[in-house]
Amino acid sequence: MLLNCLGMRCPIPIIKLAAALKEEAEVILLSDDPATLPDLTAWARMTGNAYEILSAERYLVKRL
Amino acid sequence: MGSVTGNFQSESPLHPAATAFLVEAFQRGWSDPEKRHAGSRKAAILLNEAKENFAGHLGIRREQIEILSDTALGFHLGLTGLLQSDSTLYYPAIARSEVFAVADGHSSHKLPTDSSGQSTPPSGSESDVLAWQLANGETGIRAAHPTEFKGRIFADATASGALLPLPERWSSALWSSRAWQGPAGLGIFAIADRSIWRNPLPHFDQRIGSTDFSLPLAIASAIALDAWVREYREREESLHAINVEIRNFLLTEIGQVDIAGSVDKTLPHLLSFSLLYVDAEMLATELDRRGFAVDSGSACNSANMEPSHVLSAMGLLTHGNIRVTLHNLLDRQSVLTFLQTLKALVFDMRS
Repeated sequence: MLLNCLGMRCPIPIIKLAAALKEEAEVILLSDDPATLPDLTAWARMTGNAYEILSAERYLVKRL
Repeated sequence: MGSVTGNFQSESPLHPAATAFLVEAFQRGWSDPEKRHAGSRKAAILLNEAKENFAGHLGIRREQIEILSDTALGFHLGLTGLLQSDSTLYYPAIARSEVFAVADGHSSHKLPTDSSGQSTPPSGSESDVLAWQLANGETGIRAAHPTEFKGRIFADATASGALLPLPERWSSALWSSRAWQGPAGLGIFAIADRSIWRNPLPHFDQRIGSTDFSLPLAIASAIALDAWVREYREREESLHAINVEIRNFLLTEIGQVDIAGSVDKTLPHLLSFSLLYVDAEMLATELDRRGFAVDSGSACNSANMEPSHVLSAMGLLTHGNIRVTLHNLLDRQSVLTFLQTLKALVFDMRS
């Protein structure tokens, strides 16, 4: 699933991501918010999920 | 006092002990302490007394003190004054932005900060300079003393005030009068050894202009410092207990929260936490509406829309961030009301 959060500011991308992961095991997140990368790192640590950076503003997030 | 109990911001009103003396300070300390009139001699005595007071509380000598009317200028004086052409400036990723500004124009190296808030300086060479924070102003986390570093140390004590001792081998140091409820616009700057410090401002001799600060405000600050430290020492255990209580409440009653540092490594009156899936700006606005003023390091609350560099350097959640300062006279009941209000708002915002 592709989740387009371009132009959205924190915490909306992370909120939408968490909602999307309830339905999907993997989500590709598009986000250009400067808080997204540090917040993905903290979110993955806090919730036990994982992500990888695919390219600038493009992340693959996996529910674990 | 009413509205003060809900004040969890870093700023606070001038300490009542200083407020009570303010008019008298202006009446007695209006003269230029450098001149020779009777009024000037009185002013010089007052200035000396204020400096003695600062020196006693801050663990330095009176003659090492310079009073600044602009605390931020102290970062430039303290760092640039120690840097030589072959120096490298080392500074932690959680240093204040004023340090970043100085580092920008010099050979410098940013030290990574770990999740517990600590950075490890290298041993360096004798001409290197370390910008070292005694405690971080956002998280309250105390930094381990840089014992291995061979170079010169600038100690940023703007957040820790009189609460933490300087490292053994400090070269220059800076305090902010606001750390002890003193007046804003007043910094205490100290140089350990004048022979290795070079005034980076245009100057005729090694002196920093000593008359361009308000003597009455310096006196008021010294009075505030005296009163604040006494109050803090009396309240320290209780502030620590309140800090622990807030942390426990956040973890057990609210959940999905990222708290900066452990309570035994932080100054007990400071606390920073980030709430997952919460918009900090909205939360701070709603808290304010209910009489509680807090700070935030989240991007939505900053002027440049960037998240706090301190939170991201430590790998902490940057959204939903709230910073609270537990002021000396805070009572436990207002903290409990604050926590219940916070819980209800977070529950609403998450659903």
